[in-house]
Formats: sequence, structure tokens, C-alpha cells
Amino acid sequence: MGQRRKVAAGNNPSSQRNSGVSAEAARVHSRKHNICMVSDFFYPNMGGVESHIYQLSQCLIEKGHKVVIVTHAYGRRKGVRYLTNGLKVYYLPLQVMYNQSTATTCFHSLPLMRCVFVRERITVVHAHSSFSAMAHDALFHAKTMGLNTVFTDHSLFGFADLSSVLTNKLLTVSLCDTNHIVCVSYTSKENTVLRAALDPEIVSVIPNAVDPTDFTPDPSQRQDDRITIVVISRLVYRKGIDLLGGIIPELCLKHPYLHFLIGGEGPKRIVLEEVREKYQLHDRVRLLGALEHKDVRGVLVQGHIFLNTSLTEAFCMAIVEGASCGLQVVSTRVGGIPEVLPEDLITLCEPTVRSLCAGLEAVIALQRSGNVPSPASIHARVRNLYTWRNVAERTEKVYDRVVGEQVLPLDRRLRRLRAHCGPVAGSIFAFVAVLDFLFLLLLQWLVPDGVMDLAVNATGPQQQWRQEKSNKNDCFVEDASRSF
Amino acid sequence: MEDEAFTDISGKPISLDCQSHSSFCREFIISSPKVSMGKVMVYTCSVWLLAYAVFFFTQNTAVLSGAILVTLVGMMLHIHFVKVDHESLLVIGSLGIQVSSSYASGREITTFIEMSKIKDIVINEAIYMHQIIYYLCVLLKDPSEPDAVSSVVPLFQSSKPRLNCLVKVYKSCQEILSKCQ
Amino acid sequence: MVLKIFFPQCCNRAESGLLVGRWISGHDSAVVLAVIHYPFIPGQVKQYIQQMQAQSGVELTVLGSWSLPKEGQESMESFLRDLSTIFPQQRWLQVSRQMGKMGFICEVVNRNQTALAPPILLTKKQNEEEEEKVIFVHYEQRKVMLSQLHPTESGDPDPNTEPSSELKQVFQTVARSQPLFFLDRYDDGPLKSTHWQSEGREASIIVELLKQASVPLCMLISWLLALWTWISVSSVSCRIFSLYPLRFLSSKLSTCVQISYRTEHMRTLSSPKPAAGHKQFMRKGNILVSFLVDVGLGILLMSWLYRDDHIATLANMLMPAADHVAKELEELLQWLMGAPAGLKMNRALDQVLGRFFLYHIHLWISYIHLMSPFIEGILWYGGLSVCLGLTFALSLLSDMVALLTFHIYCFYVYGARLYCLKIYGLSSLWRLFRGKKWNVLRQRVDSCSYDVDQLFIGTLLFTILLFLLPTTALYYLVFTLLRLVVVLFQGILHLSVDFINSFPLFAMGLRIFRPYRLAEGVKFQVLCDEPGTALHLLMEINPLKCSTVVQTYRTPTYSCYPRDSWAALVKKLFVGELIYPWRHKSTKAD
Repeated sequence: MGQRRKVAAGNNPSSQRNSGVSAEAARVHSRKHNICMVSDFFYPNMGGVESHIYQLSQCLIEKGHKVVIVTHAYGRRKGVRYLTNGLKVYYLPLQVMYNQSTATTCFHSLPLMRCVFVRERITVVHAHSSFSAMAHDALFHAKTMGLNTVFTDHSLFGFADLSSVLTNKLLTVSLCDTNHIVCVSYTSKENTVLRAALDPEIVSVIPNAVDPTDFTPDPSQRQDDRITIVVISRLVYRKGIDLLGGIIPELCLKHPYLHFLIGGEGPKRIVLEEVREKYQLHDRVRLLGALEHKDVRGVLVQGHIFLNTSLTEAFCMAIVEGASCGLQVVSTRVGGIPEVLPEDLITLCEPTVRSLCAGLEAVIALQRSGNVPSPASIHARVRNLYTWRNVAERTEKVYDRVVGEQVLPLDRRLRRLRAHCGPVAGSIFAFVAVLDFLFLLLLQWLVPDGVMDLAVNATGPQQQWRQEKSNKNDCFVEDASRSF
Repeated sequence: MEDEAFTDISGKPISLDCQSHSSFCREFIISSPKVSMGKVMVYTCSVWLLAYAVFFFTQNTAVLSGAILVTLVGMMLHIHFVKVDHESLLVIGSLGIQVSSSYASGREITTFIEMSKIKDIVINEAIYMHQIIYYLCVLLKDPSEPDAVSSVVPLFQSSKPRLNCLVKVYKSCQEILSKCQ
Repeated sequence: MVLKIFFPQCCNRAESGLLVGRWISGHDSAVVLAVIHYPFIPGQVKQYIQQMQAQSGVELTVLGSWSLPKEGQESMESFLRDLSTIFPQQRWLQVSRQMGKMGFICEVVNRNQTALAPPILLTKKQNEEEEEKVIFVHYEQRKVMLSQLHPTESGDPDPNTEPSSELKQVFQTVARSQPLFFLDRYDDGPLKSTHWQSEGREASIIVELLKQASVPLCMLISWLLALWTWISVSSVSCRIFSLYPLRFLSSKLSTCVQISYRTEHMRTLSSPKPAAGHKQFMRKGNILVSFLVDVGLGILLMSWLYRDDHIATLANMLMPAADHVAKELEELLQWLMGAPAGLKMNRALDQVLGRFFLYHIHLWISYIHLMSPFIEGILWYGGLSVCLGLTFALSLLSDMVALLTFHIYCFYVYGARLYCLKIYGLSSLWRLFRGKKWNVLRQRVDSCSYDVDQLFIGTLLFTILLFLLPTTALYYLVFTLLRLVVVLFQGILHLSVDFINSFPLFAMGLRIFRPYRLAEGVKFQVLCDEPGTALHLLMEINPLKCSTVVQTYRTPTYSCYPRDSWAALVKKLFVGELIYPWRHKSTKAD
């Protein structure tokens, strides 16, 4: 999606400018924030969190806020980059440990984070995803530096096994003094409140969104002599690929006109390959491998039914995209999925092979009889359900509220930690917080805030770096003039 | 011109000296502060004290002479390879850009970049150690495709001045470059 | 645009005259090569320039005039301007210098415009406009002529194509216009000129003589080489099948490799053609110098070896040393057969392995003793080859070490094979445990359902292999360590041989004694900036860094690099694959 938007912005700067002007008019009565989005997950990595951060940032910039994104270095992509509308991304060289999440020692990221916060004059730190160690680090440091913090949780978690217990404890520690928490669905909110033992008052629900213009139906792409089931997800355990491996042979045996189109890559791909080889389904099950976001729509419109087999899901963007392309959606009834679409647009099943097969067969029968709403009508209904502008407006309100709140000073923070997180973990993390504070004092002595150069503000459609100390823009302008 | 006080990224004062040889030839010299006597004393004393402590326990005089040798050699190496006294940038319109850095011992390293290879001079941002800093750099053209940038030569690598100083140098470089195109 | 004039330093104080040089198209710069003094006959000048142009292949022209008024001499404004009409040019430079002033004054007369408008008026106007826009770059003609600007073009430099870079063009122009500089100051020709002149002619006579003498020497060497190759080729071709093991052996012995390598060198050196291009010349020089140094060191070593009968001492020391190593090994094996480091081993397997190795040592020792009477002779005659160079001595040493530690190599191979087999078996049985198998066709691990019988047998085998693993692993570990010591020693020897073979001594010498010959680039210095005169720069040559010299001019060898990276080596050791010290690129194919 990033690329598409970039092209669009490049093509019609005038419209961007107009919207910028209107945003300026609206800004008079609302405050302007300097927001720093922190997460381990950002482009070039692909996924829901990544596009959420990108789209939200773009909409916030449109509203006149200043947004920078901080993430870790991806391969050779490190340093500072600019995306559309001067969205600045810091790719910090931190060591990646597992699953694109950085290793954390609670301290080593402080110097760089502090540098970013100071030079960009950040007022609100917005961390994303509870899987991201960097997000937790940033929250911790931001609180030490006295900045307001917001956290968005994108995923659900269990309570039973050891790893969840540990993660939940960490989350409790991390969130107990965070100013505000955002969840993507009510189920997710419930889950987070329980896991992190939070006051539900400071948790808001803001769903994800899709760009409806990117996902429009095109029935001409479908092949009428068959029924195609599309699955687009990462091929990992959490997405229920083992279920998919059970469904495919059963349905293919019953319905000879059924085809599967599977997009995505992951460690569970081998399961699907084995199924395909075992039952000789090479012509009916196509594995497309990793898809770029811009190719997703082209795959979706080829199908009749969209299948989602997730075992846990906070808010499923994929089914909204599928419905937006006019497909019949079949999904497991887990997590926040029942909240996402109106009941007549989705068929919900239990996460078992039998239930999913029954649900799919019912939909196949409907499809065969032609007794389904047209793709265009489905698209029209889904279109206005979730938009990024709406998300940005609601997030803005959260920021407005957060900025008014007070960041806990160190003594109260320590008291809160010990009262909230149990005597052992609370004491440990209180100690860590004190160390972090001392480290910050040391850094402030080594490199005082005044010595750091303030970053040239490049955010916004009207390109503010032209009005400020115009250094970079100059050279671009000269470049252009030289090449003519 | 040198009235404004500049500092480098860690807050130490540096001085910028602009010499205009002609309308299309300018030289910028950034000088770092000299080696402070106190620092030398601290290092020397700490090495010697350590050596003396070892000597006290082992009664081996070779340790003492070794320590003296280490400090002397260390100081020489520091002066010759580490401590940069001043860095200069000589911009000659339509001929090229010359970058040189001279060490405290008098050793000088000079590189000359021809104008035909230079695409532009820009200020860029980079992550340096545990900081994010602005730096000035020369973009070099790719000989096969003139629009692409093949590599980047950072300027003032050891003195690392702050943005206000860079902007000053940048503006006056651009003046010359645009005049000679 | 700014006009750049490259001006030789030797012409700074030349008498007035005509500037001869070349315009560099596309860069708006002029290279002045020489000054031809008054008086002259224009026709002769033109003829001379044409002649020089034909000889050097540089587009020489008359660039303009140079005037250095002496005391009491009139300025020759009008005369100079008239000159431009004699030598029709696009642009005419009038460079003048006044006594007591450092700077030059330059006026540029454009022919196109003077044709259109009254000349005097226009030049005046241009003066005011362009006075600032001239840069004088002073260069030292001799250094620039002799130096080679790096990076040099890969492949053979085509003299017809112009390099893109301006500096390269300047350097090329000066280097190619060498014929221009042969005109001597004291020659009694029709023209007098100022430019760089070589100071001594006498030394060059010796050089000429050497050149003459080198031709028959080269012939002789190449004839000898031809003879040598004929012998080796014919011996290989007629008895290739019977002597196959010999050929295989010769590719493994480092002495033989060194011989073939040197032959190749000598062939390069003795080619009667002069070196084409800078790279070829440097290569020849490097080979020659390193060969001479190598032989010199070798002769030094030989004189030491044969002086006090050191050879016999060495030979007498060798036998006890081999015995000693064997005894130590035997003790080691005895230790391993007991309870090494308090580990409890599988007794039966331990004993079998131990006895096997002990017997092997016994065999080896008896062979060595059989050989002992001949060793001194072998050493004595082998030592003679040292006169061919130090590298031969080192290669010989490496070969001897390899031969004398053959038993260690054998132990290592047995241990590694056994260990490798076990690891392989364990890994595939582990897959069986997890209900997987290795799919050979698709190169991946598939899931597979096994029978109860298969699982039972598999589990049984797995247990046996797992419990016998420590014993084998211990033997493997000990012998691998021994082998690594030998490999390390041989590696150091190979590395030093390679270093002597490939180190560019000639280039290094040039870099140290004639730094300007190998130029990395240039550096400029602002000479003076008097107001009113043009900008004066001094161009100096920036010598190549020593590391770059070594990198550029290393003679390509049979590059003995370590075959694996460290991680790969450790992995190989862990899995039990065989490791070799160094592998030559030429033998990689087989």
C-alpha cells in the first residue's frame, strides 16, 4: 500500500496541498502534537501492524501533526529515510533477536531513543504491538524522560502456558504507568485489561482500517467453471495452517470443481506442499508464495470465497479486505473476528476441520445456486465501515487527552510499580527504572540536550523544511535546475 | 566571519576559518582544540601509578621502564594517527574539491575529487555511535549512469561540527558550485 | 566558465615566446608544454609542431604568447596581438608576467568574436569580464610525465580513446609528448625552446648497454625453458599411464607446484617483446625483483647449510625426533585406552581402536628405520635445490614435514571417517524418531509414517550408536588436534612461500624511492592570491598508499587461500569431514 500511496502523492501534489490547507484551518482549535511511533515492525517487513503504523502516520500528518517512526534496521536499510509527505523513519542499528523483534537489555537503546526524542521535540510516544521489545523499551525510556505515552496492542494472548505468563507479567510492568492504551477490538480490550491488570478507563478501542479504494471487486477475473477459495495469510501456526491442511483434501475429494489459491509464505508451507503431493492436487491447489501488498487485490478478485483459519486474532484485516473485494467470507470464530463484519457478510465456524468444512460447504452450495449478494453490493456495504481518517481522528482524541495528563515523577512511578506488579517483579523493575534514570542523567551530562541539533522539520504536505533552515531542499531544487 | 562560536557534536568548541582566494575558490578550515595538558597528565599518571602498583608487588623494574615506553609510544601514535589538528575543504570552481586533514604530528592526508565526478554536496543525517548527527558529504556520480549516486564522501569526519556550522559551509559551497555549472 | 591553464614550473622564468601545448576539449582547459623563444620563423614553427604531432600523437598547437619583459625592454602589446593572426586559433592566450610580481596576467582573445567586431575594443571588454576567470595550475613537468595515475584502466589502454577525466587527459598529454622534450637547450637548431630537460645522458648509456645485453640472455633462458618443458611434456606423454601416481603426487607436493610456478615466471620474464602497458611492465619488474631476492636469500641459506656440515647434524637430529614423536604418540594411545581424563569409555571398542593405531605406529617406525641410512644423502642432494631460491627450501621443508607426519594424517582420516559415519547415522535415525525423512529429490525433510519394525530397529541402532559415540569422538578429537598442529605449521610455510612469490617488491621500491611514479591523484595548493591577477595553484602528485600498492601490484599466484571461512571450518570439524591445509586453485577441479 505504501508504494501505491507514494505514487498517488507524487502525481497530484496539488490535492495534497489543498488538504493541508484545510487541515491547517481545522488545527486552530486543536493542539498540534509531535508524535513518535515506535515498533519493531515496519516496512520493508510486511503485515498488519506495519500498514497500520504507516497509514495512521500518513493521516496524522495530513491533519498537521508531526510524526516520526522509529524501528530497527532491516538488513542494509539503516539510518534515516523519508517516505511520502516527509514521514521520517529512523532505522536504528539494534540487534534483531527473534522474529524481527529486537533483543532488549532495558538500557542499550536509551542513548539513541533519547537522541530521537530530543532532536525531534517529541511530546507523545506511541508504541505498537506487544511482541515488539523495542516498543516496550521506548515506553520505558519515554516515561523516564517524562514524555506522555500511548500503547496500541494488536494481538491476543493466552493465560495458560509459561510463555504467556511471562509475557503478561512484562506487559503488566510496561503498561501500569502508561498514560493510555488502544486496542483494536472489544475482545482485544478485554484480553489486554485482564492480562495487564489495567483500569478499563484508560483503554480505548480503535479498530484497524483498510483503504477501500485499494480493494475493489472485479467479477470478470473469476472463472465461472469452478469455485475458487482464496487464503491469504502468513503460513504460520497461529494462522491455523494445520487446519487448512485438513480441509483441503476433504473438500477437494467431495467437490471436483473446487480450487484453492493460497498466498503467503512461512514455515508451515511444507504442510501444504505435502498435502498437495499426497493427494495429487497440483492443478487445484496453487501456492503463490510471498505476495507484495499491491498484488493482494489481484489475487483476491480471482476467488469466490475467502477463507480465514486463524486460531487467534485481535482484529482481522484480511477478512475486511476479502469482503471489500466482494468475496464470501468464511472464518473461524476466534478473538475479535465476530465484531469485525456484520453477520450476513461472514460465515463463522468453530476452529475445527469438521466445522470449517461444514461452513464452507454451505457457502459453496449457496454460491453454486447463485443465491449470494453481488460483489458490488458487498463492497458498497464494507466500504465505509473502516476508514483510516476515522481511525486518525479517534487516535487524535486519545493524544489530546494524553497530553493533558501528568507523567508520573520517579517516586510515584516507583510506588506504582511496586503496588501494581507484585512485590518481586515490582521491586526488580523499580530498581531497573532507577538505573535507567541514572543512565539518563549520565547521558545528559555527557551530551547535554542543548548540544544536540534539532532536526529540520520535514513533515507535512506543505514541506516545512522550505521555510525553516533550508538546507536539503535547496540542493534538491538545484539538482532539478541542473538537470534541465 | 569567524565571530560565531561553533561547537562539535559533543560540545567542544571548534573554529571555522573561511578563506576566499577568489570568487570561485574558497577554503574552509575547521580546527579542533589542541591536546589539553591536563588530559595528557591524567593518562600518563594513571599508567605510571598502575605500573608502580605492579612494581610494588612484583619488585620487577622492567614494569616501570615498560610503562614509560608505553606512554611515550602511545602518545606518539596518538599524535600521528588519531589526533586531527585541523581539517580543510578547498573548493575550486570547475576544477574540483580537495579534502585534507592534518594530524597533530604534521602528517597530512589529502584527496582531490574532480568536478566531473561530483554530483553535489549535501547535508545528510546519520547514526554515529550512540547519536544521530548531521554531516556534510560529497555525492559522487556513477560513471555508467550520470543520474545515480555511486558513493558518498563524508567531510569533516573527525571534527564533526554541528548543523549551524555545516549550513554555513554548505551555502558557500553551493554558491561556487552553482556559479561554475 | 573558468579557464584552466596547466603551466609547467620550468617555464616560469623562460624568456618571451610562443606557448606550445594542447587544448583539452570538453573541459575548457589548456596544457602548456613548452615555450618557443623569439626569434623564430613562423613557417618553421608550424613545421616543427606538425612533426612533433606526428611523432607523439598529441594534437599540439600554438596556444598563445608568453611575455616576460626584461629591464629596459619595451612591451610588445601590438606585436603579440599580431601573432595571433599568424597562428589562426579558436582562442589565443596572452600570458604575461611582470618583474617583481608573482602573478601572471592572462588575456583571452576569441577569434570568432574578433572577426565580427573591432578586435581591440572587444578584448578590453573581455578582459574586465574574464580577468578573474582564469586559473593557473603549475605542475612539475618531469614528475607528471613519469607518473602513472591510478586507478589504471583495466584491459589494454587504447591510445585512441580519450579518458573521461580531465586530470587523466592532462597526465596522458604530458606523458605522450615526450618527443617534444628531446630538443636540447644547447642544440644549434633553428628553434630554441624551454621545457623540462634531462640532466644526465651518461647514465642512460649504461641502460642502453644493459638493454642490448638482455636480449641474448632472454634468448638463452627461453631456449632452456623450451628444453625443460619438452622434457617434462614428453616424459608425461609417453608414460602417462604407468606414471599416473607420480603425476598425482606431483600435484600434491608443494615443491613441484613451486617449480611449475617459477617456470611460468621465467617464461613471462624471458619473452623478447617489450612490456606493453604499465601493468605488464610493473608485473615484469615485480617478478624479476622478487626472483632475485628469493635467489639471494636462498644462496645465503645454502652457504650457511654447507659451511659447517650443518646438513649432517640436521639429518642426525631427524631420526631421534621421529622416534620421539612416535613414542609420545604411543603413550597417548595407551592413555586413551585406559580411562582418559577419568572418562569411562566402551572398553571393547576402545581396545580395538587403540590396538589398531598402535600397530600402525609400529609399521611406520619400522619404515623410518629402514630409510635411516639414506636420509643424509637425500638431505644433501635436496639441499642443493636451495640455490634456486628460499621458496624452494621452504616448499621442500613443507613436503618433508608432510611425509614425516604421514601417520598422524592416517590416524586423522580413520578417526574422521568413523566419526562422520556415526554422526550421519545418528542424524538420519533422529529424523526417523520424529517421523520424518530426508527427501533426496526435493532436498528437504518430509514427514513419513514408519512401521513398528522399522521404528524398533531404528531405535535400537540409535541407542547403540549414541552410546558408542563418546569413544569415537574422543579418538577423533585427539587426532584432529594433532592434525591441526601439523596443518598450522604447513600453512605458515605455504603462506610465507606465497608471500615471497607475490609481494610486489619493485612497486614498493618505486613507491619509496620515487613516490611520484605511482600517483593516486593530485593535490593543490593555493600559491598566491594577489588581487588583480589570476588564481595560482600548485599541483603536486599525491603518491599511492602503500596498502593500495600491495593490493594493485600483487603478482597473481596459485592463490593459496584457506579454503573455508572459520565458521565453515568449525562446522566441518564438528561433522567430521576431512580438512586439508590449503588447496591450490588449479587442483580445485578434480
